[in-house]
Amino acid sequence: MHKRNRWFVTIALVYGLLGGLVALVHLSAPGLIPGNVARMHGHIMLLGFILMMIYGVALHVLPRFSGNALHSERMANWQLYLANAGLPLMIAGWLTLLNWLVLLGGAIAYSAIVLFGVNMLFTVKPHGPWR
Amino acid sequence: MKVELLVSEWCASCHQSEKIWREVAEEKDIEFAVLDMGQPEGRALVSRLRLKTIPALVIDGELKGIGVQTFAEARAWVAGASARQKAGMQHAGLALSPDNRLFILGAMVYLMLGGLGLVINGALLSGPARPVALHLVTVGFMLMLVYGLGAHMLPRFTGNPILMGVWPWIQMGLVHAGLLAYSAGFLVGVYPVVIAGGALIWLSLLVFTVRIWPVLWPKPRNNGMAIQVHIQPGA
Repeated sequence: MHKRNRWFVTIALVYGLLGGLVALVHLSAPGLIPGNVARMHGHIMLLGFILMMIYGVALHVLPRFSGNALHSERMANWQLYLANAGLPLMIAGWLTLLNWLVLLGGAIAYSAIVLFGVNMLFTVKPHGPWR
Repeated sequence: MKVELLVSEWCASCHQSEKIWREVAEEKDIEFAVLDMGQPEGRALVSRLRLKTIPALVIDGELKGIGVQTFAEARAWVAGASARQKAGMQHAGLALSPDNRLFILGAMVYLMLGGLGLVINGALLSGPARPVALHLVTVGFMLMLVYGLGAHMLPRFTGNPILMGVWPWIQMGLVHAGLLAYSAGFLVGVYPVVIAGGALIWLSLLVFTVRIWPVLWPKPRNNGMAIQVHIQPGA
């Protein structure tokens, strides 16, 4: 398994534990974590845990299942950097209640989603006549 | 000693062969990998050794056997390897293990329970029942699916063993107890029970992380090299 994909899965696990911890602290001591905590928890779990896990596993299996090499390794590397730059900015935005920071982080996280989508489209698309 | 077993999903005798070699791999300190001939790593081996029949057994890069070996034959071939320290680590097989099968079954049950909200009011409920319906889908379905599929697939993708023994069952008990306590606590409005449930769910994720970590990042072996089982361009 490519080191980058192992990083995706590892980071997913770390975000899963972090997101759970945020919820537990918020339930036990409301107000201890400032900002929009419910939204932060939801996005850490969905963008940080579930989506990063899907990134890591899909980048490994979809090229194999489709019988093609991954369209672009460089796009997948940038996807890792952007996904992990965007989400921390979104978290910082929710902590400080700065909407422009959430928007900036969201745009960066979205660019990672687009890179993944385009990379997979070119990897999975059928080559030659349909079979 | 590096033992590679070349198999395919559609080959019935391959499952039998893999079962035998997995048991031997639990006894002996060998680097064991199951390679699917439908995947690039398996195809590379087929091409290099010009193999025409599976299951095929390759030891230290040389073709040693074709077909299903008996336990005695398999043990004789790796007699030179030292006995494996009992660490509760196991290599993943082609078929789902009982714990992973139960995780996936549980995920489906929680999905149907959580989705009930859609039938009741066209959304995932409202009021105190909303976080319950949401978490039945996200924790009950998504997390349990990650548990079942992750513990099955990641050891196969990396070729590294996963921590088994009582650990998957502890993880399963924690997530079920946690989700039930979380849901019941919210429905009756007893928040210490909600927090306790959340803590149990979090602990189940911690157990899963501890089990998956050595699958992703194995400890270096005695010769200072990490086990590199799969040959992959760009890896």
